[in-house]
Amino acid sequence: MVVKAPAVEKPATAEELARRLHDAAVSNLAVAPAGGGRARGMGDPLERCDVLLQTTRLDRVIEHSQADMVVSVEAGITLEALQAELGKAGQFLPVDPFNSPGHTIGGLLATGWTGPLRLGYGSPRDFLIGIRVALPDGKLATGGGRVVKNVSGYDMMKLHYGALGSLGVIVAASFKVFPKPLQDETLSEAGGWAAGERALSTPLAPSALEVLSDGRVLARYAGSPAAVKRVRDELGWQRADPAAWDDHARRAPERWARIAAPRSELHKIVDALPDGAEWWASPGIGVAHWAISTDAQSVRNLRSRAEKAGGTLVILAAPDDFIREVGAWGAAPATLDIMRRLKKAFDPKGVLNPGRFVV
Amino acid sequence: MPLPAGVAEALRRIVGRESVIDAPNDLRIFERDGSIEGALPDAVVLASSTDHVAAVMRVAAKHRIPVVPRGAGTGLSGGAVTIRGGIALQVTRMRHILEIDPVAQTALVEPGVVNQELSLVAAQHGLFYAPDPSSQKACTIGGNAAENSGGPHCLYYGVTTNHVLGMEVVLADGSVHWVSGDSADRVGLDLCGVLVGSEGTLCAITKIKVKLLRIPTSVATLLAAFPSIDTASQAVSAVIGHGIVPAALEMMDRVTVGAVEAHYHAGYPTDAGAVLLVEVDGIPESTRELTAAISEILTANHGYALREAQTPAERELLWAGRKGAIGALGRIKPNYYLHDGVVPRSRLPQVLSAVGEIGEHYKLPVANVFHAGDGNLHPNILFDMRDHQVIHQVEGAGEEMLRAVVELGGALSGEHGIGLEKSAFMPWIYSEDDLDAMHRVKDVFDGDGILNPGKIFPDPSRKAVHLAGRTGLAIEARWW
Repeated sequence: MVVKAPAVEKPATAEELARRLHDAAVSNLAVAPAGGGRARGMGDPLERCDVLLQTTRLDRVIEHSQADMVVSVEAGITLEALQAELGKAGQFLPVDPFNSPGHTIGGLLATGWTGPLRLGYGSPRDFLIGIRVALPDGKLATGGGRVVKNVSGYDMMKLHYGALGSLGVIVAASFKVFPKPLQDETLSEAGGWAAGERALSTPLAPSALEVLSDGRVLARYAGSPAAVKRVRDELGWQRADPAAWDDHARRAPERWARIAAPRSELHKIVDALPDGAEWWASPGIGVAHWAISTDAQSVRNLRSRAEKAGGTLVILAAPDDFIREVGAWGAAPATLDIMRRLKKAFDPKGVLNPGRFVV
Repeated sequence: MPLPAGVAEALRRIVGRESVIDAPNDLRIFERDGSIEGALPDAVVLASSTDHVAAVMRVAAKHRIPVVPRGAGTGLSGGAVTIRGGIALQVTRMRHILEIDPVAQTALVEPGVVNQELSLVAAQHGLFYAPDPSSQKACTIGGNAAENSGGPHCLYYGVTTNHVLGMEVVLADGSVHWVSGDSADRVGLDLCGVLVGSEGTLCAITKIKVKLLRIPTSVATLLAAFPSIDTASQAVSAVIGHGIVPAALEMMDRVTVGAVEAHYHAGYPTDAGAVLLVEVDGIPESTRELTAAISEILTANHGYALREAQTPAERELLWAGRKGAIGALGRIKPNYYLHDGVVPRSRLPQVLSAVGEIGEHYKLPVANVFHAGDGNLHPNILFDMRDHQVIHQVEGAGEEMLRAVVELGGALSGEHGIGLEKSAFMPWIYSEDDLDAMHRVKDVFDGDGILNPGKIFPDPSRKAVHLAGRTGLAIEARWW
């Protein structure tokens, strides 16, 4: 239970952040790293929180090499600020998380949040090529580099991606970036899952494909103009305003959960949601989001269904009491013991996000 | 150093008498991988199942005997070399494709499955496995996962780690675990991501679940000649700078083209300073458009003798030349020493001219054949191993080439791994703190250090870092 408001620290450099983190660890103070706060509802309620360590002042583009299509940024830069920089060169980072705008890059990496474009481009896990992390002992550790292909040493990017700041605080990252497609078209259609499956099997695969609970389907096709035209003709769907994606990315219900499942199982799991539930799904990825409108028991039931199918149900935001009742994460992974040992190796005193993550 | 008393017997009880090799002469064929340094194992164990691997690991853990998992032995960084002796744990008998799920587009395979075999079998379902190392006719998926291997088509499709969904692994204590799995978002730390590319130092891999992709309906392969490596490099940057990411974008220099053409008769222009092989795939509409755009860019950048493969057979011949290039270099000298440093793409002209100068300085022929689109060099230093004096020259030249790569903001290895040969150079790109963080991971998985010891991390007892005292170049360059 958090009893008093935590001290808010906003270091201006990575070195200063590492020092603050170290100071806190030495004094056994609990530290919650934070970026834009868009994913602050993720995880179990903190057991304690003495210092809110914000990366928002670390907001520089360190280097954008247009010719190499590589960018290095500090972790506190917002996704929108980064896209504006990349856009000048006709490039972009293919990430479109929900609860936008306002995500920081560090936050997106720590939480592993993604959006519809993951279908066509993969997640940041796939194009994160370098990382710099402040550790509780005050060290700054770098992994990877600024080249698009690199097997020099362990893949430390994977260690911290999605680890919710449990092992360290991400202070900088490098990405492989992408050229904006020659043609990028949004198509829309009613018809729910069946229409979605049809769009997924077109000769040119969609870069994003969303099925919404009102039966609407939003598809995005990117590539050469002739190829995109062929798909549009084959599907016979209406062109839609691309601003639909911005509206879609703004979604962030007060209580919501992310369901992930093998692609073949997702439809069945979503069908088990209560009548009238609001949800949106990426059937090609195997992820759905659900605006929770029911009690804890029905969340537990649905989670157990997802887990039996090899999937997960994770709460992205809900009141603390509700999360305490259902648990943010669900069944512990079978490899929990190894994860705990990693946690201990990087954060032996357990000062980072205590109680919030799986470890 | 022989195995402790009783260990060979214990191993035979696990896998059967015939499946443990420890006669000195028989061990010789397990002395090397595709790199130049070798060392004999004390025993080779031919495992046929996860149970075998786990049981062998338990015996090794009890006696603290080194274990080096080994696939086809085609690795190029000494990853499979038993530099501290111990057990070479051969997994090539575990070669079953256990499942192909055409709906989910996944395959579950044993580690000894040969890379190309998986794509051939998946083709029955219209699918393929994207990572395609040049050794794909021989190398195994297990070895690919351990090394996080690349290949020409990784420019567009990504390297092995982007295609591994989950793995069954055996840890140093003999425990068996599944890491990751079928669904997109999992709970907890991404152990699978950490273990892919860990070069056998954190686990032995016993099953791999991989993504399969739909075979594109249209493929176009272009060949273009250039007056020099420089002009070809600029053309590479120009293609990518136009927002086109081809499926593959490969370069060969004059030396390589000469050897390849003599061997394959694929019609490569032998008068060229460099040749680019460009491939785009997708549907006919997009490949037509892209081919036209690329041709225009190549021509505008001094490309000539442009040629598009007209038949699948012609396309395959062009690729056979590229993928067999290193073998063809045997026409020039019997041995090659190959590094695979990566630089930011725009630094290719600079690094290649440095590579050329280093070759001239050491009076060693160098042949370049590489993944230009990724900035991933493959300078092959050609020599004859029977000349014992030349080995030191070769190693010295290789080291200087890597140094040039690092000084231009690059990394030590793009797809071959650090292994044995580059471990001494890790402090060039990583600070003590960076390496310490990696060490923590190693200690969690293998506290006693029995899994593939002597790899990745610098071993002060083995080789001096010649250019010591300039650690953490990446930091000096103020990238961060």
